[in-house]
Amino acid sequence: MSEHGQNGSAASGPSRDTGAGDISALDIIVAVPPDQHGDMLARELSRTRGSVRRIWPLPERLPTSADVMFCELTPELAQCLPWVPGKPLAALVAVVNAIGAPQLKLLRDCAPHATLPRPFTGATVVTSLAVGRAQFLYEQRLRARIDKLDETLRSFRSVERAKGILMDKRRLDEEQAYHFIRRQAMSQRVSVAAVAAAIIDSNDILG
Amino acid sequence: MAIIEETQLRATLLAVDEINQAGGVNGRELAPLIYDPQSDAQAYGQYAKRLMIDDGVTMIFGCYTSSSRKAVLPVIERLNGLLWYPTLYEGFEFSPNVIYTGAAPNQNSVALCSYLAETYGKRFYLVGSDYVYPRESNRVMRDLLRARGCTVVGEKYLDLRAKRGEFRPVMQQIKNVGADVIFSTVVGDSTVYLYQAFAEAGLDARIIPIGSLTTTESEVRAMGFDVAAGHVTAAPYFQSVPGDRNDSFVKRYKKRYGADEPTNMCAEAAYFQVHLFAKALALTQSMETDLIKQSVLGIDFEAPQGRVSINAATSHTDLWSRVGRVDRRGQFEIVQQSATSVWADPFLIGRGNLAAAPAHP
Repeated sequence: MSEHGQNGSAASGPSRDTGAGDISALDIIVAVPPDQHGDMLARELSRTRGSVRRIWPLPERLPTSADVMFCELTPELAQCLPWVPGKPLAALVAVVNAIGAPQLKLLRDCAPHATLPRPFTGATVVTSLAVGRAQFLYEQRLRARIDKLDETLRSFRSVERAKGILMDKRRLDEEQAYHFIRRQAMSQRVSVAAVAAAIIDSNDILG
Repeated sequence: MAIIEETQLRATLLAVDEINQAGGVNGRELAPLIYDPQSDAQAYGQYAKRLMIDDGVTMIFGCYTSSSRKAVLPVIERLNGLLWYPTLYEGFEFSPNVIYTGAAPNQNSVALCSYLAETYGKRFYLVGSDYVYPRESNRVMRDLLRARGCTVVGEKYLDLRAKRGEFRPVMQQIKNVGADVIFSTVVGDSTVYLYQAFAEAGLDARIIPIGSLTTTESEVRAMGFDVAAGHVTAAPYFQSVPGDRNDSFVKRYKKRYGADEPTNMCAEAAYFQVHLFAKALALTQSMETDLIKQSVLGIDFEAPQGRVSINAATSHTDLWSRVGRVDRRGQFEIVQQSATSVWADPFLIGRGNLAAAPAHP
């Protein structure tokens, strides 16, 4: 089904299967200790043609300009992240140790999109990159959808009313009326709600 | 925003003390942890993060402006906390991580709109502070006004930190367009300037009153009783609400904070929501958000405004709907009120119950 090898180091990377979304050529921050594990992580990520920036120790505030951040899960991490929980600006992959007590509280606080346990393999590195990136993008899409739904709910009444006015005054059917409003919104680069409000206002004034 | 936020904090602490003095919740004391974001929306987000991550808090009480609520929202939603929000707002929101204890538009805007239109006339001038609440609130108001055959003869938004002088030209414009009513969504410290500019312009509140959803006893006190007299506010609660429950609330509030300190709608909501929380906590014996939420939905409480209940369908509160007119002593004379508490309808789905037939007291 796919060309992924068992331990993946060679077969994964740029030649991943396309279902995971595009994970090549991303801006990646690697904030883990610069030991052999860290070197290996950076190397594997570079193989995805990503641009990899290494940062250690964790600065007070991590930079915001990245697509994905691989960060050591430390007690300081939540404070160093350049966003408040719930409003991430990049995919976050928490780097953890496979052995020892799991840091559940830290995981909750940092709200990563994926985890990457040590020791790494090429396959686990790319897997965590793909899952983290996909989860982040999905979260963004859901947030955008909620914002849009909220706005639709708020403007629903005025759009209905504006449609009614157009149907009445211009003898349009409902769909034509809606298309008229949408065309205006697109050409004036404003929201559908704003056009609807303008139609209602001018109708109020002109009668 | 300090005028109201301060009173919300005070009322919250009053309720906490009452609960602790009565033996706490199941024998355990409530210990509030307090941060002051200084009306800075971004700081609200940061403090919410700090409360939930560093301090291990799950229940957050507070937020006055919609901007501050919106800053806290992503944090509590991601980390699954519960925000108890004791302020009226513009509606059209439903977060599973918020208990809304202030009025939604169907509980205050509708009554205000009908009272003003019937009493003073149909030409409305809208003036507000320039941020999310006034603009969204006016979107709802326009809809309600139109349904009553009223017209909007002007609309103006001023900076939240607008200076006194900026309200003068607004008054001139109100005179020019011949408004019957001024609907204000000016909030915070500049509220005082709006009403003072009105008085200085020689306008008469008996003829063209300012109608508001946010001007409370606290702003009235700040602007001066004579300046405020005759203006109109719609709210679930006024200090003047009759009854033993409110009398004892007002008495204890004044005893603690001073005889001159009035209560107001936001303080009252801040007060009763802590009691509601304690009631839920006594049942769950756990501060876990999911458990508290489950037990608080549908719960009711004898609040100073009357019996209120958390509406299980919306996480909003079924509240009383009242209209008050400021008298010479800085108190609201209640000129209209609902017969019972009004079902919270934040999305204005059932316009029918908007008209929840106002009965005269």
